[in-house]
Amino acid sequence: MTGLRDALLSRDETRLPGRRDEDWRWTDLRGTLRPLPAVSDAVQPLAAFDEPEGVQVRRFAAPVTAGTFDASLSVAAGETLWLLDRVDAGAGAYARDLALDITLGEGATLHRLVLAADSADAVSVTRAMVSLAPGATFHQTVLATGGKRQRIETAVAHPGAGARARLDGAYLLADGRHSDQTTILDHQGPGGTSEQLIRGVAADQARGVFQGRITVAVGADGTDARLKHNALLLSDRAEIDAKPELEIYADDVACAHGNTVGTLDAEVLFYAMSRGIPEVEARLMLVEAFVGEIVERIGPAPLQDAARAFVADQLEALRR
Amino acid sequence: MAADQDTVETVAALAGEKYAHGFVTDIEQEFSERGLNTDVIRFISAKKDEPQWLLDWRLAAYERWLALDEPDWARVHYPKIDYQDLYYYAAPKQKDGPQSLDDVDPELLATYAKLGIPLKEQAFLAGVQGSPRYAVDAVFDSVSVVTTFKAELAKAGVIFCPLSEAVRDYPELVRQYLGSVVPVSDNYFACLNSAVFSEGSFVYVPPGVRCPMELSTYFRINALNTGQFERTLIIADKGSYVSYLEGCTAPMRDENQLHAAVVELVALDDAEIKYSTVQNWYPGDAEGKGGIYNFVTKRADCRGVRSKVSWTQVETGSAITWKYPSCILRGEGSSGEFYSIAITNGRQQADTGTKMIHLGANTRSRIIAKGISAGHSSSTYRGLVSVHPKATGARNFTQCDSLLIGKTCAAHTVPYVEARNAHAQLEHEATTTRLSEEQLFYVMSRGLSQEEAVQLLVNGFVREVLQELPMEFAVEAQKLVAVSLEGSVG
Repeated sequence: MTGLRDALLSRDETRLPGRRDEDWRWTDLRGTLRPLPAVSDAVQPLAAFDEPEGVQVRRFAAPVTAGTFDASLSVAAGETLWLLDRVDAGAGAYARDLALDITLGEGATLHRLVLAADSADAVSVTRAMVSLAPGATFHQTVLATGGKRQRIETAVAHPGAGARARLDGAYLLADGRHSDQTTILDHQGPGGTSEQLIRGVAADQARGVFQGRITVAVGADGTDARLKHNALLLSDRAEIDAKPELEIYADDVACAHGNTVGTLDAEVLFYAMSRGIPEVEARLMLVEAFVGEIVERIGPAPLQDAARAFVADQLEALRR
Repeated sequence: MAADQDTVETVAALAGEKYAHGFVTDIEQEFSERGLNTDVIRFISAKKDEPQWLLDWRLAAYERWLALDEPDWARVHYPKIDYQDLYYYAAPKQKDGPQSLDDVDPELLATYAKLGIPLKEQAFLAGVQGSPRYAVDAVFDSVSVVTTFKAELAKAGVIFCPLSEAVRDYPELVRQYLGSVVPVSDNYFACLNSAVFSEGSFVYVPPGVRCPMELSTYFRINALNTGQFERTLIIADKGSYVSYLEGCTAPMRDENQLHAAVVELVALDDAEIKYSTVQNWYPGDAEGKGGIYNFVTKRADCRGVRSKVSWTQVETGSAITWKYPSCILRGEGSSGEFYSIAITNGRQQADTGTKMIHLGANTRSRIIAKGISAGHSSSTYRGLVSVHPKATGARNFTQCDSLLIGKTCAAHTVPYVEARNAHAQLEHEATTTRLSEEQLFYVMSRGLSQEEAVQLLVNGFVREVLQELPMEFAVEAQKLVAVSLEGSVG
């Protein structure tokens, strides 16, 4: 599972995951790094960013050539934390592998917002391993704008026992960018709930990928797991690939996933235009509303504001 | 009265051995030598009096097969198959081909009578005026025993015969279409089939003809350690229609037996093919001993504009099922449908689903898949919906529902969606649930036993698919569902 890191550290290009690997079939890293860049600690300068109040902010600077980074965080039992992880873009072609460990104690609550920006030539993989204690609540929203190859992976070890997980996400992709959001929700014990809503938009020649796997282990009865992925294709040269998966070994469960791919509703577009709104604006309005739902689900106001600002910037990129 | 008789039969079937088709026919058979090499392929080809081009085709496939690896991505587990330990050809001994039913070995006739397959040209519901008729091609291990209603079909211009006969009588048609939908080296099992295929049905429906009756093939594996590698080729020419049914059974044995078939369908302009399968190969015993490995490649090519192919399958048998009936929607406005019920019980494993490849504009597809797992079994839906850049206006709707009965079974859903056209619309829904306690309680409070209640609810769950089957088969399939789930509750 640590293909990019392995390849970078061992300087062995053949270890890069590619389309023949089931979990990487739409995020082929083979041939994207030729030759493999040297790994170093050197990072690019951080861009200015107004840090929201009341939120713990972690910033992950882009490497100059290639870098592997680790960070861990735990929220103690009964505590609540608002967290903003900003994966900074940097410039040029770089390779980054970011591994994050997150642990939530009993009854702890974490609201996590991930703002993933990468340069158009970056190959970037961010993996979060989240472990929940009984009664913990984990709400996450990932907003991504893609790269040459960008993957944001979240794996949640869910004990059941009243713990709740919500994994939301959105990707807004233009030009030739690629972004992959992959979630693995592992329900290991009885009585757990999880919910996921992912929305994506791909314009130009962009490629959006979503993979969501829900597993329910033997004995994890009473699990309620739901997942939904909706995507819009704004161009005939763009591509959306999706694989929502259910892997179920317990019988007393309620699991469901839904997946839709379509385009902007021509009638709604026509209506907006008939009211004097130029087509470009009308399209953006519809996209904003489509993704806006993800933003509105974010509970803490400072995180919601930061998310809204990030989306607004990206909508500008779609305007071009 | 009919209902009473029905009930009696169902109960009798439940009371007796669960797998009613598990008997062995004791008949003198001719085998190829054990194992697989070019000599065996030459032997099969010679047995069938094949022309040189087909032998070359087989040998080329064998060459390719040697270079391929057995696929391992499906969620099924089985011990490695020793391909050199199988017989690739088995046939009831006969001096010449039978001219009429009177020449057929009475043992064989008795076998089919026992299986309830009409080899005489009779109405399906004997004695019922105006009931639909079925033309049957009965395949026993590696050869076709008899094909009924050939003369009447010929009057309509429909060709329905064993593939080996078609190779002899219609070489141009066979040569044009064989391997054009499933290429020789498409996958490991299809490639193996291309090298050693022994029998199967060939159907050609000429332009504008609506096939006057349902066509069906009945496959029976009998011999020990024998693989069955049939190959079916159906061509519906412009504006034609054909409905084809397929049934399968095998004896109960402790050894696993391999069944690797290839089915190719070609639909030209405005043609429609309806293909229904009731697959009831021996599933192995409750501990997972024995049973058929069912590794099948089925694919339809909707080449013509507005052509249509509909797959309906009821999968209750086989120890392991690996099967993805697919549609290549090439013609503008063509459509594909897939209706499936997969039931696993005991130690059965099924990894099945479909692929809908939208290449042409305004192509449509619909997928309804119902999986039911009980016992220690595992059932996986694996499907692909792919929309290519030129498929403007393509539409897909997919629904997969899984039902779990008991604590030790598993159900998986693995849909793949690839969209590359901004004017396509794709929807996918999946749910996994168990039989609801409340529904069970309600039905039982009306006086049904637990077993009957489960059957009733399961039949409700799969109703959408059963409706797609021709009527007589729907009745049979419904019973099959009941028998397959026997003993899964309580």
